[in-house]
Amino acid sequence: MAAVYTPQKPLTAADITGPGAWWCSGCGDFGVTAAFKEVVLTLVNEMGVPLERIFVLSGIGCSSKEPEMLRLNAYHGQHGRSIPVAMGVALANPNLVVVDFGGDGDTYAIGMEHFVHACVKNVNMTLIVMNNQVYGLTRGQASPTGHLGLRTSSTPEGKKVRPVNPLKLAIAAGAAFVARGVSWKRKELAELMLKAIQTKGFSLLDVFSPCVTYHREPGYRGSGAIVDWYRLNYVVDIQEAWRAMREQVFSEEERAHLPADYDPTSPLAPLYALRLIEEAARRGKEVTGLLVMNPSAPTLEESLGASPERAPALVDISVEANLERYRRLLDELR
Amino acid sequence: MGTLQVCGAGRAGDGTNTNVSILGQVLKDLGAWVFVWREEVYSNIHTRDTAFGLRAAGGPVYGPDDAFDILEAFDQGAFLDWTGEGRVPPLARLRQGGVILYDSSPRLEYPNTGHEVRPEQVEGEVRAKGARLFGLPMGRLAKERFGNYIVRGTIALGALAHMLGLPEEAFVRRFARLFREGSDLFRLNLEAFRAGLEHARSEGWALPDLRLALSAPEGDRRQLLLGNEAVALGAIVAGCRFYAGYPITPASEVLEYMAEKLPALGGVVVQADSEMAAAHHVIGGSVAGARAMTATSGPGFSLMQEAISAAGITETPVVIVVSQRGGPATGLPTKVGQEDLNETVFGGHGDFARIVLAPTDAEDAFYMMEKAFNLADRYQCPVFVIYDQMFAQSTYTTPPLDPSRFVIDRGKVVTVPLNGPYRRYALTEDGISPRAFPGTPGIYTIYTNTNEHTEEGYITEEMVVRKAMVEKRVVKRMDLIRRDHDLPPPRLHGPPDAPIGFIAYGSTYGPVLEAVERLAGQGQKARFLALRTLWPFPGREVRRFVDSCRVVYVVEYSAGAQLRGLIQREATGPMARKIRSILRYDGRPMTPGYVLQAM
Repeated sequence: MAAVYTPQKPLTAADITGPGAWWCSGCGDFGVTAAFKEVVLTLVNEMGVPLERIFVLSGIGCSSKEPEMLRLNAYHGQHGRSIPVAMGVALANPNLVVVDFGGDGDTYAIGMEHFVHACVKNVNMTLIVMNNQVYGLTRGQASPTGHLGLRTSSTPEGKKVRPVNPLKLAIAAGAAFVARGVSWKRKELAELMLKAIQTKGFSLLDVFSPCVTYHREPGYRGSGAIVDWYRLNYVVDIQEAWRAMREQVFSEEERAHLPADYDPTSPLAPLYALRLIEEAARRGKEVTGLLVMNPSAPTLEESLGASPERAPALVDISVEANLERYRRLLDELR
Repeated sequence: MGTLQVCGAGRAGDGTNTNVSILGQVLKDLGAWVFVWREEVYSNIHTRDTAFGLRAAGGPVYGPDDAFDILEAFDQGAFLDWTGEGRVPPLARLRQGGVILYDSSPRLEYPNTGHEVRPEQVEGEVRAKGARLFGLPMGRLAKERFGNYIVRGTIALGALAHMLGLPEEAFVRRFARLFREGSDLFRLNLEAFRAGLEHARSEGWALPDLRLALSAPEGDRRQLLLGNEAVALGAIVAGCRFYAGYPITPASEVLEYMAEKLPALGGVVVQADSEMAAAHHVIGGSVAGARAMTATSGPGFSLMQEAISAAGITETPVVIVVSQRGGPATGLPTKVGQEDLNETVFGGHGDFARIVLAPTDAEDAFYMMEKAFNLADRYQCPVFVIYDQMFAQSTYTTPPLDPSRFVIDRGKVVTVPLNGPYRRYALTEDGISPRAFPGTPGIYTIYTNTNEHTEEGYITEEMVVRKAMVEKRVVKRMDLIRRDHDLPPPRLHGPPDAPIGFIAYGSTYGPVLEAVERLAGQGQKARFLALRTLWPFPGREVRRFVDSCRVVYVVEYSAGAQLRGLIQREATGPMARKIRSILRYDGRPMTPGYVLQAM
């Protein structure tokens, strides 16, 4: 039995590792988990966040086994429904660091309603989506992010319905933080995660986390090959995409007003990011990196009057403490 | 005169609600017990027929009576089924010798005055009822004297005040509260009121036979509130500080009241993107440690079933208010029904512990909310508070409500680390695992899981653990709940040797109670068992009651006789001859006369 963590000694990855063993060897989700544990250690050991204030959630799917891999305060919910539960947790106690893990089916199909509204409402939480284009847990049907032409058990002739683009949706809906990571670059992924958690408001970190079992691409056989497919054919780094767009798409006159490097904190970042995603898509590519970071918009908690000092879960609800206010409410209803 | 029943009938936008409500407030201030209900409201924001009912009496009233003493007619719809769709206009319920106060103005161009009120078109019916007709040119006065049609109802109030001998000061006090003393709206309404009063006085109108003998200035301390407001207020006093909801009739007043009041008390109200989201927000709020609630009606309740199931397996306390309307699907959004009892008692997939409470009236509901939240925390399960549109959107008079009677019991909660890591689903003797809230120093392993789980909360499908968890969560839990003294017991009315029995729940409480009293007046002994806990079902009490009667009528707003079905399943078996149904499923309010006639 693992010992109770006490803040006297530094937290180790073993302290927060759960008993779970759910994923295929080589699954991208291992990379996401490793990066997240690093982030938790940084938060607790270096930034002084009390471990008991970290709260993790998930829905249903391979990715949603995340809390099983951890030993943390957590809620493992139903398919597509972890976001509204996370919103409830975040609102009831704004002292908590709320991180929700979902999959692409979980978030962008059955949970789409909640996803878009969480962006709009700007709840102070982080959503990490392990995006692999397929429903792994039900044996590999195409997911909403599956690219056109993707052959799966539910799309035997290749996927004919165009994919959802979660980054565009999140940007358009006003999420405070929008980024895309990849599971095979753990250091960069951990950096993005930390930034996502630290950014006030709703943070979407969509992570390409390849399915080594069910995601098949012509010409890429054997374990690990699907990562090569992503690396070689599918992803483009945001700075590279920016330079390409700057050179190839904009006129010389326009270029003079554009910075050399992409700046996710610029007020124009949402517009440029949408353009970047479009331009990359023309070439069959998906952008990776930090697209938008804007912590200035009020969060749902702030709008509704909840704060760390004024947490609905912690407020005194005893009748004695509130009696005068209750009597006033009764006086109004006479 | 012991009671007075008034109907204000017009079209939406005519101000019938305001007219009838203010009259009710004044009568209550003067010492009457008042009940105001929506006699006819369509799910339609523009100008369909609308009628509000008001009943005032010297003692508590919990529902409408059959006949109106006074009909205020702001539109021809009060008299006629002008659309020809089979509507029964309020005139049909005017009593013999009743009073009609109608707008005698010629047709006006104001959009809501689409129909000139012309009693001569129903001359036969008016004569047959021996009705007394009073034509008050409300619209003309409103337009010529005040340039504003909205005061038509206030002019009518002035005339009624004079005819019923109600003091002007009582109205002035209410106008001051409603419109802010000294404001333009206050002055406008006061002058309109006086214009109506002057008109009635100059015409010599009087209704001495309809004057209520009122006393008791302590009326001012009593509460006058909607069923939905009683529920919201009770929830607040019970410590609810997290409310999530989606607008839906007839539950929206709960959301609105919470949105207005909770923030000042340190709580939050989220208007969710759907009922699916709302119910899951509530689970999140509860897991984080807040007392959390949502309220909805049929269609929204269906969307919540998934979350209810999650609350069941995760052992998360939530309070869910089910304000029923006519169904299925969109059904009758603004009209009464009791068709969601089965979904409340049996809904949500899988087996889990639950509690279903059913208030009979506003006072009952207020105090019942304390029990709802305490039971939810004590047994870590969903608690439903089920009622119907006639309760939700009717105004009740209650004795002064006393918040100091509330006691808050959060059940088993751990606030300091125990020996070894915290286990959310630890197997204990009584089957209840202490809760812990995230953020509690030293506790970081609170794992809440919708999958079948181990004591630590991790997924398992192992036979032994599964069986232990089901027994803990369902079998042991329901055994414990059944023995809890906080479950509201049924109310029993009538003599023990009565051969006729009635069973009902919800807003039919008043009409059935009065039907029993009227039977007694006719020398027929009857009893009434009003159920206030529907799950766990009070089988023993119901069986004993049924055994004591020769015939039992189950009264409900459900063609499927859902309550009767529950009684037969849980308490009596078929007893097809003995147990009979009195059903109403046309969306209209039950009355004592309806009950007696259906027998």
